[in-house]
Amino acid sequence: MTQQTFIYNSKLHDLFQNIQKVMIGKSEVTTLSIVALLARGHVLLEDVPGVGKTMLVKALSKSVDSEFKRIQFTPDLLPSDVTGVSIYNPKELEFEFRPGPILGNIVLADEINRTSPKTQSSLLEGMEEGSITVDGLTVPLKNPFFVMATQNPIEYEGTYPLPEAQLDRFLLKLSMGYPTEKEEMQMLNNVSRSHPIHALEAVMSQEELIDCQQQVDEVYIDQNVQRYIIDIVTKTRNHASTYLGVSPRGSIALMKAAKAYAFIHDRDYVLPDDVKYLAPFVLAHRIILTSESKFEGVTALGLIQELLEKTSIPVRREK
Amino acid sequence: MANTSQDNRQLFFRGIVYLCGFLLFWEWLRPLEEVTDTSDISIFVIYAAFCFFLSFIQLPWYFSTPLKLVGLAFILDGLYMPQRFLSKEWFGFFYEHIQYNVNVIMDFQWWEMTPLFRSLLFLLLLWLMSYLLYYWFVVAKRISFFVILTIIYLTILDTFTVYEAKVPIIRTFLVSLTIMGVSSFVKEMEKESINLRERKASYIWVIPLILVVLASSVVGYAAPKQVSQWPDPVPFIKSTATGFGSGGSGGSIQKVGYGTNDERLGGSFVQDDSLVFQALAKDDHYWRIETKEVYTGKGWVRDDQGFFQEVPSQNLVNVLPYSDEVKTEKKNALIALEDRASFSKLVYPYGIQKVLGSRAESFELNRTTGEILPQRNGETIKLDRFSLSYNQPSFSFKQLRNASTQDPKNIKEQYTQLPESLPDRVRQLAATIVEGKDNRYDKAKAIEGYFSRNGFEYDTQDIPVPDESEDYVAKFLFETKRGYCDNYSTSMVVLLRSLGIPTRWAKGFTGGTEAEQVEYNGEMYNKFDVKSSNAHSWPEVYFPGVGWVPFEPTQGFSNPTEMYIEETDDNEEEDQATNLPDQSMQDPMQKPESMQEDLFDESNGGLSSSEPWIPTKVLLGIIAGVILLAGLLFFYRFHIQMVYYKWRFYRNPNKENYEAAYLFLLKSLDVKEKITRSPQQSLREYAREVDSFYQSRDMGILTHHYERLLYRNDLQGQPWDKVKELWENLIKKTLS
Repeated sequence: MTQQTFIYNSKLHDLFQNIQKVMIGKSEVTTLSIVALLARGHVLLEDVPGVGKTMLVKALSKSVDSEFKRIQFTPDLLPSDVTGVSIYNPKELEFEFRPGPILGNIVLADEINRTSPKTQSSLLEGMEEGSITVDGLTVPLKNPFFVMATQNPIEYEGTYPLPEAQLDRFLLKLSMGYPTEKEEMQMLNNVSRSHPIHALEAVMSQEELIDCQQQVDEVYIDQNVQRYIIDIVTKTRNHASTYLGVSPRGSIALMKAAKAYAFIHDRDYVLPDDVKYLAPFVLAHRIILTSESKFEGVTALGLIQELLEKTSIPVRREK
Repeated sequence: MANTSQDNRQLFFRGIVYLCGFLLFWEWLRPLEEVTDTSDISIFVIYAAFCFFLSFIQLPWYFSTPLKLVGLAFILDGLYMPQRFLSKEWFGFFYEHIQYNVNVIMDFQWWEMTPLFRSLLFLLLLWLMSYLLYYWFVVAKRISFFVILTIIYLTILDTFTVYEAKVPIIRTFLVSLTIMGVSSFVKEMEKESINLRERKASYIWVIPLILVVLASSVVGYAAPKQVSQWPDPVPFIKSTATGFGSGGSGGSIQKVGYGTNDERLGGSFVQDDSLVFQALAKDDHYWRIETKEVYTGKGWVRDDQGFFQEVPSQNLVNVLPYSDEVKTEKKNALIALEDRASFSKLVYPYGIQKVLGSRAESFELNRTTGEILPQRNGETIKLDRFSLSYNQPSFSFKQLRNASTQDPKNIKEQYTQLPESLPDRVRQLAATIVEGKDNRYDKAKAIEGYFSRNGFEYDTQDIPVPDESEDYVAKFLFETKRGYCDNYSTSMVVLLRSLGIPTRWAKGFTGGTEAEQVEYNGEMYNKFDVKSSNAHSWPEVYFPGVGWVPFEPTQGFSNPTEMYIEETDDNEEEDQATNLPDQSMQDPMQKPESMQEDLFDESNGGLSSSEPWIPTKVLLGIIAGVILLAGLLFFYRFHIQMVYYKWRFYRNPNKENYEAAYLFLLKSLDVKEKITRSPQQSLREYAREVDSFYQSRDMGILTHHYERLLYRNDLQGQPWDKVKELWENLIKKTLS
């Protein structure tokens, strides 16, 4: 999947360019992050430390002129550290809600797999519901709301793997990868004096972002493309190597992502190509492989690719 | 505005090319008049022109197809159908015909196909050709193939048949050079995308082209030519085909009509359309009066043995006895004789049973000649009005084929008579014609069909009367090859007799012209006008166990005898015979427009004219033709489909047609260029592959536009001109 991605929508192109000032190379991850942002989804970045995960989120947040919050997950972090806590105010004689970092526009949940499942779920539930409940008080989350969680690959020491059911909450699961030699060289030059992130300015307002999100909802998806999505998803459920296939939530996610992807290409309808391109990012973290197939070296990503090679693309209109 | 004039010019050139195509195609039709027994091709030329015109103006199929069908039906109706146009009976008649012909084909009785059916097939062929040529000339702009085919066709006809292609070849060259000049010019202009801005300049180049064509043709025509380098492959054909033109001493000019003196046959005819009698009958069939038995070498005379015998009017059964095995159908007819009719003998159909409602008290019957003279008060009278009851016979092929050759002695003696003076070459010819035929019926059919295959020509003018030293039949067979019914029928009788087959010469009238439908005694009858010009003669062949069966060798006439094919061999009781419906006959010796066609079995007969007629050859020819046609259709199936899809798409660029056109492009890329799209490949990916194959971006751009239809389901903002251009370019690339 080394498809060259171009952003045709002019507003989003500015956004992309702005982020690229900081992120050398990594255009695919950048584009997909914008896709998730537009689809009102969340992103899970999985990679080794130090490849620029945090920098991507920061750049995105600065470019959209939004409130950026960061939660550094540690093993001793409590749910209230995420959601906020009610504290007794002796002057007013009542409890006062002190909002936690989840109540920002763009939230970086750094190293999410380093904390206990209890704290993880406090974030994940908020992502799904769009609101949090603290001490019987329901607090809506902000709009736009975008979580970018990072995690180190689970084989590393001291991690609590995210439960598979929770993974479903993320629209896309991406990985950064190391920069190429040339890119790394450029990166060194860029940061030699001062880091460019400090000079980054917003190119898009929150209102503009919300407007874009609404336009994404308007993108047309034909029945034959929907059927194509369902074909792919159904195949994950019936495949011999899968223990658990993609849920209907996965189908919806794929459709939403495809709409956003079509939108950044300045198209008001979805192509099967969009679906085909996005499927590995949207679906791979939603399936659970059987232990036998894992043992045989099957990976989720490989399985999705294999299924895409078997799914026919519609070239006729639905009658 | 510039665009319209460009379009006009396009149309103009296309018109020229297509018109020339039609002229070339016409050259294919012209020889049919000479090498086949098609007496007039003008109606076919008109129909072809009609089809070509409709193709050219590119009417939508839902207009053009019905139009062509109506034209086809109209022609068939005019030529063959006695029923009211498009009435229920009309369709019934048509259906019967088709059924019969399908049976005939299933039974491999190719030569039994009725003229109607053959004409139908031929018209369909014309229709098809108009499409094919439109495609070749206008769409694909490939002219040379058809030009070369035309020239080959003409040269073969010129060599092997009586057709003189000297003028047609020159004509063909003129047309071909013009058409190729125009089309290559247009091609070149398109290739270089030259836009002739000035109107005048765009047409003026035609003038030098025409001048060059004319000049080179004149030089070519006038230049000395080498004598042929090879010996003529068919010298003996040539030798039989010469002697054309007027030979012999022109005889006296007679008036066409029924006469009794046939001692000296030959001479010209003056047409005489005066009415002789009117007949109310269900079907069109021949009216018989008498037969003659003795051939003198110059004509026919009566056998002395004949004597008259008195029979009651109720019993005329024995005039033409048929065995019980012959299937008959009971019918009635009413005859009203005109005053001017010069004969008193009874006219009657085959299978006559009795005469009713006449003034006659009794009848004098001559069993030998079949003459019937009405009697009243001991005198022969002329009956002006009478009705007939008859059992119309129909013969089965099987019956005739299986008939024994054991003729009764008296019949054998009486009806195989030939004069001493008959030249031997007549006998030899007869033997050659029937070579390989093992039964009497096939022999008779071979001789019956011989004339139409060997350059004989139906003509009533300047038919020579043989000299004292000449034989009437031999002169016709070997020298003049022109003549009318007497020549053909007498020749057939003589040829068959020389083989020892009892045959006699019958005289009477053909069925006449159908005038109208009349109700009589509560039944619908056809009213036939029989005129002097309907006088006719034909041979009757004797089949032991069956009786006398009439045949029709004269070109332009078809056998009115009903024939049928048994559907099962061992179940004759339930034999649901398909009777051959009567042919609507044109008047004999009259009307050059008479339209009996014999096209299909001639199409190869023209190439092997001196060969005796062998059905298997015809069969092989037809099979080869069908295979060739099927092969051509298969080979050009994408071209044909392209025309279809293009026409659909251009006429009405809606969703369905756009989709169909695009999918056809995919199919064409797959089959023709072997760029196969796997079902998992998206159109974009595929388009990229196609474009890298062609080194262009056309497919990508077209696909980009098509995706909007496919995945957005609307046609908004489609740049149609661009889309059509891209589509056509790509399709042409795949097909080239």
